Amino acid sequence: MAPMKIVALITVIITGGLLLYATGDFPAWGDPLSPANNSALSRHYIEQSRVETAVPNLVTAVLADYRGYDTMFETVVVFVAGLAILAVLGQGTSRERAAIQRSAERYQERDMINIMTARLIVPVLQLFSLYVLAHGHYSPGGGFQGGVMFGASFILIALAGGLPEALSRLSIPGALLLAGLGVLLYGGTGLVCMMLGQNFLDYHILHRLLPATDAVMARYHAMLIVEIGVAFTVTAIMFIIYAALSSRGRMTGGL
Amino acid sequence: MIILQITGAILVILGLVFFLGAAVGVVRFPDFYSRMHAAGKGDTLSTILMLLGIVCFLIADVPWAAVIHGDFSLLVEPILTSIKVLMIALLIMVTSPTSTHALMQAGYDSGIKPHLSEADDDSTPSDEETPTP
Amino acid sequence: MELFFKLAGMALFVLMLPIFYRLIAGPNAMDRILAVNVIGTKTTVLLVIIGMIFARVGMFVDFALAYALLNFIGSLAAARYYHQDRLRQERGAS
Repeated sequence: MAPMKIVALITVIITGGLLLYATGDFPAWGDPLSPANNSALSRHYIEQSRVETAVPNLVTAVLADYRGYDTMFETVVVFVAGLAILAVLGQGTSRERAAIQRSAERYQERDMINIMTARLIVPVLQLFSLYVLAHGHYSPGGGFQGGVMFGASFILIALAGGLPEALSRLSIPGALLLAGLGVLLYGGTGLVCMMLGQNFLDYHILHRLLPATDAVMARYHAMLIVEIGVAFTVTAIMFIIYAALSSRGRMTGGL
Repeated sequence: MIILQITGAILVILGLVFFLGAAVGVVRFPDFYSRMHAAGKGDTLSTILMLLGIVCFLIADVPWAAVIHGDFSLLVEPILTSIKVLMIALLIMVTSPTSTHALMQAGYDSGIKPHLSEADDDSTPSDEETPTP
Repeated sequence: MELFFKLAGMALFVLMLPIFYRLIAGPNAMDRILAVNVIGTKTTVLLVIIGMIFARVGMFVDFALAYALLNFIGSLAAARYYHQDRLRQERGAS
């Protein structure tokens, strides 16, 4: 083994050992006396989030409502990452693309078994990702997870049927539009709150716009809108990153 | 309900036995293709068996006495979970052979030679392949 | 019953160790992808068993389903990558 590999192995073993050692100091699972439960802020979240937002899943309530700024800019980070990858790798010249297309057609005979399995799996994957997105209020899940799985379904199409096949379903301009729409949906929800006279991303005022809701349920529904925006962005950027990296930015050929 | 639990336990243990076979095969078989054979078949079968065993346990856990007295709402959660576990078993049944097939084809196209027999070793040496003792 | 599932989970983990051996020692990349695929499939089962131990199967089964699907996509991508890599070398040589 090369010396660098041995050094890397020793580093990994030491780090892993330290992490495993540190897990021994964790408080027990669900321990009411653990330090994380003692600050006033987390007590407020634990005791009041169900009353204030009607969302049973505390994590979703904190992520999409109390810390809405944080999640919004996480979405923006994902969006900017996708844009940066497109900007760095570029799209290639059209002559280059045509040459690669010809050789790709020659070399890439597609496997029928993979295509058939993808046809079976993709609907299940997309339906399950929508379930994960919509069920985030009750169980682990939400916009990021649902978006990743929806993007993975497009990646599966690209793996089985070739990148052009997937691009005919979700083109790069379409994906960019979708990503921008997601960020717009999130930021727009916050701006509408501002126009109605509240702070940015203070959802409870939205009960004036949403039919048949009170201030609590307005927060509940606004969280779903925001999660859908996150899912749009993550889906589109996942697919853009895959398409750009697998084809070296030429958007043809690919895996 | 004890019958269902025993059935579930038998299925889980049977799955572990098949996975033992797969593990031994993956370690001891001489070349890539036979290892793939052990992994693909044993892995798929043992996963399906263990998930079926877990479904048996889930159905046995339902408080049947209350259900028989008319409280059908207790059935919803276990049935939903059982359907999801069966769904995983079905998906594994479809996806595991497909990924095995894709790996096999990639291995063949990247030039891994099968280990045919001891006599053939000199004529068709398997590149980078060393039979594990 | 909880004890049974703890034992089953431990047995599953111990049986994964030979696969880990193939993951580390495997003579070439395809063997390692194979080992990762097997471990991924077994992790699905392990997640469901952990759900049985904590009596929260309804929650863990979602993770397991997502993991099974993404594991399939991962191994398919790895297989396609090596397939393509080989073709690219041939194209460069010819």
